Amino acid sequence: MDALKADMFIMSYGKYFESHHIAQIRERLLLMDDSKWVLIQSIPLKDPLISLILSIFLGMYGIDRFYIGDTGMGIGKLFTCGGFVIWYIIDCFNIESATRQKNFEKLQQFLY
Amino acid sequence: MHAEQKKLYALMITATTAGYLWLLYHIYFRTQNTDTTVCLVKSITGIACPSCGTTRSILSIFNGNWKAAMYYNPLGLIVLLIMIILPIGLLYDVILKKQTCWTLYKKAEQTLQKKTVAIPLIIVVLANWIWNIYKHV
Repeated sequence: MDALKADMFIMSYGKYFESHHIAQIRERLLLMDDSKWVLIQSIPLKDPLISLILSIFLGMYGIDRFYIGDTGMGIGKLFTCGGFVIWYIIDCFNIESATRQKNFEKLQQFLY
Repeated sequence: MHAEQKKLYALMITATTAGYLWLLYHIYFRTQNTDTTVCLVKSITGIACPSCGTTRSILSIFNGNWKAAMYYNPLGLIVLLIMIILPIGLLYDVILKKQTCWTLYKKAEQTLQKKTVAIPLIIVVLANWIWNIYKHV
């Protein structure tokens, strides 16, 4: 894949990944076949900002975890009143990086 | 055992331990009729959340009062079953170095994300929540 496309991807989705993963993602994108470009763009990546908003307002019901695809943990939070509130507070700070991690995992299936 | 699995197991152990401590606290230091709550939503808005009444439900099961348990919150039974089965499963995995819990968890997640499974469950939880609000648990 040419550098222009890889940079375009990084520019539009840079916020969706941890900063220490960006260099690795760009490297793998450059090595990747051009035919995968459409596939890569169709991956349903989740916005960390939306998950943060969900976490603050609906985190007691585990909606933030359901949103990023952590269904098991979402149920855990839902059944225990946001994990006795402690888990809710931790997730308010933690959910953005959890979202970015999940996005990276989703992308990884196509990168390697 | 890779990092993600370790994290999940640590979380499961912490959660079940917290659950048991919470139950012990209620059994030994509190009578059942006190009107305190940890639920943030309930203390701020006064509206019950989907899982309000779970503690009272489990305590009712301990007292053999199944009718009251189902009235407070049917989720109590599910939570109690999870709290009994999960530590056994985790111990089994850790001692015999297997990955049963992890694979089951991943499979359950995949099943729950199917629309045909998810939508009925969401409806059940919402119905339970509406019932919760209606009966002022």
